Amino acid sequence: MKKHLLGFSLVTPVMVIMLVAIGLPLINSVWISFQDQRVIGGESEFVGFETYVRILLDSSFWSALGRSGTWVVVNLIVQTLLAFSAALLLQSKGWWAKSARVWVMLPWVIPTISVTIIWQWMLNSNYGVIHWALGEVGIDLGSPFSDPGVALFSIILVNSWHWFPLATVVIYGALATVPEETLEAARIDGANNRQTFFAVTLPLINPILFALGLVGSLWSFNVLDSIYLITEGGPVEATTTVPVYIYNTAFGAFRSSEAAAASVLTVLVLVTVAMLMVRFARPKEDS
Amino acid sequence: MNVKTRRKQKKSLRQIIAMSFVTIVVFGPIYWVTMSAFKGPQEIIRRVPSFFPENPTGSNFERLLLATDYSTFLINSIIVSSGTMFGTIAVSLCASYGLYRLKIPGGGKLAGIILLSYMIPGTLLIVPLYGTLNDIGLINSHAGLVLVNVAFTAPFCTWLLRGFLQSIPSEMDDAAAIDGAGPVRTMLQVVFPLLAPGVATVAVFSFVYAWKEFVFASQFIVSDHLSTLPIGLKGIIGQYTVDWGLVMAATVFTLLPSVILFMFIGRFFVRGLMNGATK
Repeated sequence: MKKHLLGFSLVTPVMVIMLVAIGLPLINSVWISFQDQRVIGGESEFVGFETYVRILLDSSFWSALGRSGTWVVVNLIVQTLLAFSAALLLQSKGWWAKSARVWVMLPWVIPTISVTIIWQWMLNSNYGVIHWALGEVGIDLGSPFSDPGVALFSIILVNSWHWFPLATVVIYGALATVPEETLEAARIDGANNRQTFFAVTLPLINPILFALGLVGSLWSFNVLDSIYLITEGGPVEATTTVPVYIYNTAFGAFRSSEAAAASVLTVLVLVTVAMLMVRFARPKEDS
Repeated sequence: MNVKTRRKQKKSLRQIIAMSFVTIVVFGPIYWVTMSAFKGPQEIIRRVPSFFPENPTGSNFERLLLATDYSTFLINSIIVSSGTMFGTIAVSLCASYGLYRLKIPGGGKLAGIILLSYMIPGTLLIVPLYGTLNDIGLINSHAGLVLVNVAFTAPFCTWLLRGFLQSIPSEMDDAAAIDGAGPVRTMLQVVFPLLAPGVATVAVFSFVYAWKEFVFASQFIVSDHLSTLPIGLKGIIGQYTVDWGLVMAATVFTLLPSVILFMFIGRFFVRGLMNGATK
């Protein structure tokens, strides 16, 4: 009994903090979404689902949702490819891999604001080093962040540079959990490296990859700073994903209720997609 | 051992190319911004860029320190990041001990709820959070920012510590109990000291999180003299748009502190993340 008392009092602080900073705002968000509040904390009255209807009829919201889909999927592909290649290299012996296991995290350690400045500087169409280097080999980069056709993908590359280290370390950790004997056994049975990887390693680390993909996708869906700091959602909404849409609605157009309604709808979409993925795509954990 | 070293085959050309690629991808941008920060105003906007400053100058950094409020922003960032770090350590250490070691009734459900908060996008909460912070009088204060940061780092860190707790055999608790140690003493004197690597991991994660955090800091801090570095840097860019040298120096001085911290305890962090995330 005394043990449980200690246990509960230990869990209390995290519960209180999360209640104040996540729970209450979430409830508040639902509340505001049924009002017609404009400025945060301003006067408002109950309007029921009116705001929701307006959001659902707003084509900008749907395009933002579509862009968020593109954002999540392309980020996932680029980061997985980068992280997997890096993780496999980290497995090799020698000083390179040994030191790289630490310094590969550097792009993640750097503040997002610095990341965005560095890349905008390197891609600058007048003085940028990458712009110049590509120009030397005959490729005109143009202005990657102000061309509506490529702006979103340019930011995805910048964001991937910022976030791939975290995935690298997790995948590297996953690879390290595969017992050496299992790999050895496969090799003795005559499997080459590629076969060993696909038939032995990949199935074994699949549950970790799934968890990483799920959590990583949720995190990347929520990215606002990388996009906002480079384009603020422009040019002409070309990089307005859902978080940018909500941010601009709340703080640019000062329509709190619409931002809240869009938030609630988005949480519903996220939870549904996550539950569907857990239900149908989760790898079986029996071995 | 000897057999192993002899068996170490030569690296293939493909592997060397891939290693160089990763090295350039990681260090290239960092190298470039650092070099740019040491260039003079003429050299930095040359059409054909120089790969090493011809006349390295510290004048960009000098202007940064003298003409801008960099030092104020730096101190604010250190306060907020340290506060977040200590707060997260305390809160997540307690929570994970209660949830995963003492196994309180309903603990599984609580752990589930904590993990579920991963899914709740911080961005979507800015509007109502502003109201909440306003109500409890913590808007425009470092304490408010720390509170919000801890709320968003603690869930992940609580879960991360689980892996470390599991690696400490529970027989140790029983042995301590037989020796007459109460549950609190067991926790503080037997288990917590063994969690040092886990604490280092949590420390780096939460410090870096707060150091990088932009969205909350830009909305919940109104006064310039309370702003953290990312917000300050954004202001500096706005004010000195064409002064690329100054902007580069400010960028370097914003990323440097977290990079230095990482150089010292980064390897504990990487090991901790590997252990925690794959259990």
